[in-house]
Amino acid sequence: MGRISAMKEWQTFVRRFSDMKEGKRELFIKDLSPGKTKYNTKHVYATVAKSKRTLKNPDTLWIRGESGEKALTPWYLVIEKELEEFIPGRPWEDLLEVMAKREMKKG
Amino acid sequence: MVFNDHRDFFEVLERENELARVKREVDWDGEAGAISRKTFEHEGPALLFEKIKDYPEGYRISNGTSGTWSRVALSMMLPKKTPIRKIYKEYEERIDIKIPPRIAKKTNAPCKENIMLGNKVDLNAFPAPIVHEGDGGRYIGTWDVVINKDPETNWTNWGMYRFMVHTKNWLTGWPQSTSQLAFIMKKSYLPYNKPMPIAVVLGTDPLSHIVATAGIKTFEDEVDHVGGLRGEPVELVKCETSDLLVPAHAEMVIEGELMPDKIAPDGPFGEYPGYRSGTMCAGVAVKVKAVTYRSQPIVTMVCLGTPPDDSSIAASLTAAVAMKKGLLRHGVPVTDVYVPPEGVTHLIVIGVKKGGTEIARKILDYFTLRRIMTNKHIIVDADVDVFNMGEVLHCFATRCHPGRGILYEWYEGRSNSLTPFYSPEERKKLKGVSVAFDSTWPPEWEKEIVPIKASFKSIYTKETIDKVNKNWESYGIKI
Repeated sequence: MGRISAMKEWQTFVRRFSDMKEGKRELFIKDLSPGKTKYNTKHVYATVAKSKRTLKNPDTLWIRGESGEKALTPWYLVIEKELEEFIPGRPWEDLLEVMAKREMKKG
Repeated sequence: MVFNDHRDFFEVLERENELARVKREVDWDGEAGAISRKTFEHEGPALLFEKIKDYPEGYRISNGTSGTWSRVALSMMLPKKTPIRKIYKEYEERIDIKIPPRIAKKTNAPCKENIMLGNKVDLNAFPAPIVHEGDGGRYIGTWDVVINKDPETNWTNWGMYRFMVHTKNWLTGWPQSTSQLAFIMKKSYLPYNKPMPIAVVLGTDPLSHIVATAGIKTFEDEVDHVGGLRGEPVELVKCETSDLLVPAHAEMVIEGELMPDKIAPDGPFGEYPGYRSGTMCAGVAVKVKAVTYRSQPIVTMVCLGTPPDDSSIAASLTAAVAMKKGLLRHGVPVTDVYVPPEGVTHLIVIGVKKGGTEIARKILDYFTLRRIMTNKHIIVDADVDVFNMGEVLHCFATRCHPGRGILYEWYEGRSNSLTPFYSPEERKKLKGVSVAFDSTWPPEWEKEIVPIKASFKSIYTKETIDKVNKNWESYGIKI
């Protein structure tokens, strides 16, 4: 039998809980594994779903709103690709809007 | 005694029973913050957490070194029980004195005891706290001094801005887009697409942190004013990776470059108005190039929230004095300005020699002309003690005419987006409104129609007051 790796937990922030959509998405996520590197950020391309049944070996993704309110139930994700720590943009630009525009462009 | 560093100040705080050393291990992940918040809300001592989970012996976190008026008085070398009015007066007199800094040799600079450079940089090596559960990250820069410089004028700005650990060698942060840091970035770096060197300084002398909260005028170096307040120059030393000068006695200096073309998430964070209110993902990204730090470093935290805390106390002092000076320059006959800590620089009390609508309008103009951090301004006559909120509230309740005594000013592009009552749309557009509550008697009223305040001091003749005071003990009344 192959070894099943433990499910990791991540956290991401959205303006409204309803902004989180299923499918392939670019996300900044925070590692919730205990230790000194807890809360370090990763910028990833991932497949996100409300249910873990639709994903193979997914990690848990906790969602928080813009005031830090935590959604009661988690989502799930599979990281497809790790990206650079940042995205192109001007200081004080709304990061989430820039990311939404990038997604629109990609179709 | 002039304090050169954070550690000197702890000795005095300890002697004055203003410091608690927490020897039991605490978790940087929420626990240190929760203890600090509870301590603030009981007006308890400054804290030094001496054993932090996951970190080596000696790595520490402090909180609340300026969180009460007593500690602000001590940091100004005044007696612990100095009244607020006297602290204001001392600060007002000393803050205009400028004493330029002295440059220290690197070998004499404690902040250079340890140096992490380039790919050796690892911000995870320091116990940056999760200040409040649900914050966007580990905020290493809260009670900090952030330094940046305008290359065109050589003006060096010191401010206090939040910065969190993004990755081991990136910080993200949120100096407001209307801040002096942003002014320099937008003026001298963004147009040329150049990164701006900055230094995030933790744990320097207490007055440097207090002045970092101040509204010192554009193009004036805060460090000169810190020297004036101290009566001695601040010792500075050159950064490893830029020509910025930083306090030589700091606990830690994080050197980096604020990028003109890269962004990453910051926030949300429980902020100084006492809420975590949706300001996130509209900040700046900093590539960290070096960290220099003292052995057994102390990460200085302010667990911001509902008042009082270091921010609401320090800003009460620094903002009020800056406002008083500004209003006088603007031609307002000010007697005093008080920023009650409970009003978190949203609510300002202004005493004037002569009131009325014209003066109230002038005051509102002053507060809404440029970058706007305040929104409610109570204007009172000179007979009201602005430091006595009981008197201020009585005056507001009885002299502010709800129809003609309330003046508004709407604006866009320069409001304080941390103001909790603004909608998300207003915050995004920096749209806001300020109000003046004119609680003064109309100057056009004849003297004989002005109601006489029915207080001991004002409704009796001098003879009666003197007689009652002289005979007070013989009445047998203890008050």
